[in-house]
Amino acid sequence: MTPLQQYLALSIALFFIGSWGVLARRNIILIVMCVELMLNAINIALVAFSNYSPTGAGRGEVFVFFVFALAAAEAAIGLAIAIAMYRLKERLSIGDFDEMKG
Amino acid sequence: MPEFQQTAFILLSILILASAFCVVLFRNLIYSALSMIGCFLGVAGIFILLHAELVAAAQVLIYVGAISVLVIFAIMLTGHRAGDLRLFFHKQAWVAVPICAVAGIALMVVMATATYNATKDAQNPSDDAIASLLFNEYAFPFELVSLALLVAMIGAVILAMKEKK
Amino acid sequence: MKTAVLLIPLLPLASFIITGLFGKRYFKEKSHYLSVAAVAVSWLLSVYLIVQVERGEELHWQVYSWIAAGSFKVEIGFLVDQLTAIMLLVVSTVGFMVHVYSIGYMKGDGGYYRFFAYLNLFMFSMFMLVLGNNFLMLYVFWEAVGLCSYLLISFWYTKQSAANAGTKAFLVNRVGDFGFGLGIMLIFVTVGTLSYSGVFSSLGSIGTGTMTAICLLLFMGAMGKSAQFPLHVWLPDAMEGPTPVSSLIHAATMVNAGVYMVARSSPIFSHSPNAMFVVALVGAFTAIFAASIGLVQNDIKKVLAYSTVSQLGYMFVALGVGAWTAGMFHLVAHGFFKGLLFLGSGSVIHAMGGEQDMRKMGGLKNKTKITYWTFVIGALAISGFPGLAGFFSKDSVLAGAFHKGFWYFWLVGLVAAFMTAFYMFRLIFMTFHGKPRDEKAFAHAHESPRSMTIPLIVLAVPSAIIGLLLGLPPESGHIDHFLEPVFEAVMGEPVHFGLLDAGLMTLSALIGIGGILLAWLFYVKRPDLPAKAGARAGFLYRAALNKYWIDEFYFAVFINPVRALGRGLWRWVDVGIIDGFANGSARFFNGVGMALKPSQSGKAQVYLFSMFLGFLALLVAYLILTI
Repeated sequence: MTPLQQYLALSIALFFIGSWGVLARRNIILIVMCVELMLNAINIALVAFSNYSPTGAGRGEVFVFFVFALAAAEAAIGLAIAIAMYRLKERLSIGDFDEMKG
Repeated sequence: MPEFQQTAFILLSILILASAFCVVLFRNLIYSALSMIGCFLGVAGIFILLHAELVAAAQVLIYVGAISVLVIFAIMLTGHRAGDLRLFFHKQAWVAVPICAVAGIALMVVMATATYNATKDAQNPSDDAIASLLFNEYAFPFELVSLALLVAMIGAVILAMKEKK
Repeated sequence: MKTAVLLIPLLPLASFIITGLFGKRYFKEKSHYLSVAAVAVSWLLSVYLIVQVERGEELHWQVYSWIAAGSFKVEIGFLVDQLTAIMLLVVSTVGFMVHVYSIGYMKGDGGYYRFFAYLNLFMFSMFMLVLGNNFLMLYVFWEAVGLCSYLLISFWYTKQSAANAGTKAFLVNRVGDFGFGLGIMLIFVTVGTLSYSGVFSSLGSIGTGTMTAICLLLFMGAMGKSAQFPLHVWLPDAMEGPTPVSSLIHAATMVNAGVYMVARSSPIFSHSPNAMFVVALVGAFTAIFAASIGLVQNDIKKVLAYSTVSQLGYMFVALGVGAWTAGMFHLVAHGFFKGLLFLGSGSVIHAMGGEQDMRKMGGLKNKTKITYWTFVIGALAISGFPGLAGFFSKDSVLAGAFHKGFWYFWLVGLVAAFMTAFYMFRLIFMTFHGKPRDEKAFAHAHESPRSMTIPLIVLAVPSAIIGLLLGLPPESGHIDHFLEPVFEAVMGEPVHFGLLDAGLMTLSALIGIGGILLAWLFYVKRPDLPAKAGARAGFLYRAALNKYWIDEFYFAVFINPVRALGRGLWRWVDVGIIDGFANGSARFFNGVGMALKPSQSGKAQVYLFSMFLGFLALLVAYLILTI
């Protein structure tokens, strides 16, 4: 196993642990946290590719910065929504918010 | 890969995956958040192993410093520290396990069988090069991201504001 | 000259737009100022134009390319030659007089502005029709005048009969226009162009059969527009419109469009003797057929309407036998005196407070002096009284038929002329002479205002003298020389006035006078005779009175079956199949939507699950395909 594949394996494992959390847990704040984990997994893959790529050196890292910025934005919005929802219903279970059905 | 690096990688991987499991499995949200910080720190270590020191520093500042605090604040504000037991041990948790496992294994197979045009280690450039990439070639996306952040900030303020009655 | 040609149609168009848009709010009872002024200028320019043409000028002017698609090219262009000039003069003169007349006739009508706007639109369309230099323009404005005719027939659209008459005119014209359109397409397919000059210069390459087909199809259009049997049924009903409209459109101008079209296409028609014969045959039959109906009608305008149909038949006889200039001469003369007669009848109706039934009139002679005398001039002209317009024009038609060897058409024409003289003077004697039959209406009867009587006088002048001016000597008069360049290629040997012609002329004059005398005998001397004659004629009388049951025939053969078919299609095909299909498909998709509705549960994690399952499916597919 080459070093690149090790890092990718770590990335995949982290990504699916995060997605398991997203699918399994119902607390909205925890779902946001798990999304952050998934984003971290992606970052690992990006930096690893950047480190081992003969042509794209550094470009992966640039993308990581963009991911950081958007993750920060997503966390801010997501948690603000969570707080607003909590104010509305005094609960934070995602199953309680299903008004937008057909 | 030198011996030291290999050892460090394995230790950091164990830290990351274990704390990630803890995030998902802890019932108490505060514990989950603390485990998440551990996970973030491990990822920062991985970045250092990949010769991306600037990213590692940013990881510590943004994730460990900012986002974790934000999450903990949210937990505190909602006063909802404990994830209800009933909320966790339900059917969908067990349905999610095979889906994620199968998808993960499938992706692992893809990853293992793919051929890479990979060269030796340490291709990541210095901070100067990153900066020049970011502000020359990627200047426009950079500005767009700053705009997105601004919008997110305004949106978060409006959402979190208490409604005046 | 170009400016004049442009202004002639554009002034009425501009007036139509302005009056139509702003008339209701701003002009109201002053709507006629602009309309009349525009048409007056057009009339002056037409006079100027005919003077120019008389001096030998012609105009072939491509203004711009309207449609250019591959080999199909249509250009808006003007052609001004003798034929156009003379048509312009007739149209603008009668049009101008009718505009003036309408000021008085339509006074106080709720749709005053609308009436003048429509009249202007009609003037524009009619000018463009005669000015165009290709068949497509002819067709387009042919339809445009048809539209104006429809709008004006059903001008009083709240009256059911008027609305029906408009629809009938439109539908019957459709039948003819269908053939006309096919004819134009056939021309294009065979020759590849639609401009008059282009078509006429390449006639040599067309086969006789195709030529005959083209001619008959074109003539079908003429039959519709000029109300020839069997498509004549719309014209008498069109009398539901205001009388000025009947005068302008349904006597003097639009119905002549068919005659104009055949005259314009004379190079094509002259290549097909068979088609020419059909034209003459239809014309001759229509002439006598319509005249016989006119004998017994009691509605003053209906008599004139059948008279118009009959006179149009005369024109087609002239064209069909090859006496082109005679046909055009009759068109011009008829335009004037029939316009006059219609306006006169309008004046009578006005005097009688809207009454149109002649059986309730009588004795109006002294109350409406101007109307009476102008009407008599018009009636004498149409009856072929020596010296008046109709005498010369009708005689040249009959003589033309005789000289070309169609003596049977001559004979038919002579009989029709006798009938014409009879029914015209029957009309006069019933309306103006004798004792008033309706005392109450008679007491209110009065001469029309000056805006109505002046046009009568103005139109009476050409009705009286145009024959002497243009038609002398017969068949080689001024008008024949004037129109010679147009029909140069298709005219036969010039005819020299001889003893035979003098005899024919005397005969037709005697026939006309005989008709007048018979009418006098029937309706003045022995008023009991008509009833006896009617009883004696029995079946024939009833047939003529009921217009030979043509309308009933059409109802039985075409309209009712089509209605039944339509109802059947609606009941079974439309409601059953089409609606069933439409509603069924709606129901189908509604059902599918209802079935799929639960999938949008609003539960975010269910969505996430399905997203992951989709991702998984893609991944598995990729693995299967690559490994």
